[in-house]
Amino acid sequence: MIRFDQVSKRYPNGHQGLDSLSFHIRTGEMVFITGHSGAGKSTLLKLIMCMERPTSGHVHVGGQNLRDLGSHDIPYLRRQVGVVFQNHQLLFDRTVFDNVALPLIINGTPRDEIGRRVRAALDKVGLLKRENMYPISLSGGEQQRVGIARAVVHKPALLLADEPTGNLDPELSAEIMGLFEDFNRVGVTVIIASHDLPLIAQLDHRMLTLSEGRLLADGD
Amino acid sequence: MAANQKPVDKRSQKAASGAARSSRSWRHPLRSWVSSHRDSTRLALRRIGDYPFSTLMIVLVMSIVLALPMGLAVLIDQVERLGIDWQRAAQLSVYLEDGVEADAAQALQAEIEALEDVASTQLLDRELALAEFQQHSGLGDALQQLAYNPLPDVILVMPQSIEGGASALQPLRDRLAQLPGVDEVQIDLLWVERLTSILAMFERFTGGLAVLLVLALLLVMANTIRLAIESRRNEILVIKLVGGTDAFVRRPFLYLGVFYGLLAGLLAWLLLAAGLSWLNVTVRQVAALYQSDFALSGMPLADGLVLLAGAMLLGLAGAWLAVGRHIRDIEPR
Repeated sequence: MIRFDQVSKRYPNGHQGLDSLSFHIRTGEMVFITGHSGAGKSTLLKLIMCMERPTSGHVHVGGQNLRDLGSHDIPYLRRQVGVVFQNHQLLFDRTVFDNVALPLIINGTPRDEIGRRVRAALDKVGLLKRENMYPISLSGGEQQRVGIARAVVHKPALLLADEPTGNLDPELSAEIMGLFEDFNRVGVTVIIASHDLPLIAQLDHRMLTLSEGRLLADGD
Repeated sequence: MAANQKPVDKRSQKAASGAARSSRSWRHPLRSWVSSHRDSTRLALRRIGDYPFSTLMIVLVMSIVLALPMGLAVLIDQVERLGIDWQRAAQLSVYLEDGVEADAAQALQAEIEALEDVASTQLLDRELALAEFQQHSGLGDALQQLAYNPLPDVILVMPQSIEGGASALQPLRDRLAQLPGVDEVQIDLLWVERLTSILAMFERFTGGLAVLLVLALLLVMANTIRLAIESRRNEILVIKLVGGTDAFVRRPFLYLGVFYGLLAGLLAWLLLAAGLSWLNVTVRQVAALYQSDFALSGMPLADGLVLLAGAMLLGLAGAWLAVGRHIRDIEPR
């Protein structure tokens, strides 16, 4: 599903984001990326999303070398990926329903199907009754679950999450991780960047540990 | 990647209704295109509703800028039509030589009236003309001092047709000038032609003004849309993150430009219609002083529609100027 081949990313300010990183994630895996802040976790996810381009090396997603993607192809790559952000990235002037419907509207899903699929996604994260509320009136945990519903509503094959439990208490964090495991169980490849080591330790999944842009450890 | 997607079982369900699916398959892109445009329209209208004051401001500015050259053009057009009416009243003045007797003058009038190009004639007797001149010119006393009447007899000739203006009347003029007893023949069209060329000058001026104002409008519109884009920066970032194309992001802003144009066009139309009827009150008074029933005919429908279409096009063009650069610049990092 995802292969990094000697990938380096150096930023214009001289900061080395990634340094000759190579790894392979198979379809249907659930993988945690850990490391200190600045270790390159976010850079790694941004490269998969084509938000950044590598300085050298190759990134393959779903058999596609991202180097071959032009800027016009990038939206179509992103439609096949669901992303959950630490700061949710919700639109506060739209209802929960409209926030979750956004990926479906973008890829041109017929209107009657949008309602059905948005409600299915909201039901999955337990927010069906909140569809007409605005995100501002939801708690942090609920906002994050709206973000997750938006990330999975168009049934992506790949789900990325950048510090999805960053601001949540341990109980809510475990709940959110449980949701990701549910999606993984039905075949979605899940990659989660997190530095919440105690939480990750409770879960039995592959873990890539980064340090200063290099792969420090790869294992369960 | 698609192979990994879950709805394998769903596909087999749908295969049962394969015929229904294939008839839908070509309609789906069209339908989603239509619904995407409907969404963009809704977003644009919502923005107008959310910011009524700034909408009012931009629409007011646009409508005033539009109404100015359009109003001038409409006015010039109507005065031009008045000029054509005056041309229709064109006549030739045939001045007779000194010493032509009254009977001879009347015979000459009859002879001219018999010409085929002539519709009618009128003989102005020199004594009568002098008396009238003394009464109306305020030079009565001075004229009394004159030893003789300086005015000639005049025969006014209304031509059959005035198509082609002064130059078309030239042959008739030459023919009249060769008649015995005729001193000089004048075509009383010159001042109408002067008016026409003055109007042409104003028309040119209005055209230049319109070009400048249209440029200004484009800039105003581009700046307004740029601000709208800037205030939705966060939304644009999120849309791009979940796979929205530049075209998808662009569309609501283009619609916004078109709607601003539509509103400004309607308001400009209203301004012009009101302005013309307001002006008409005094135009009628002035025309009445000249024994004319001339009046402005109001805003022509065709001109109004052109105004509307032009305003919408301007809105679209201005929006296009803004979105081209700014939306490409907003990229998630």
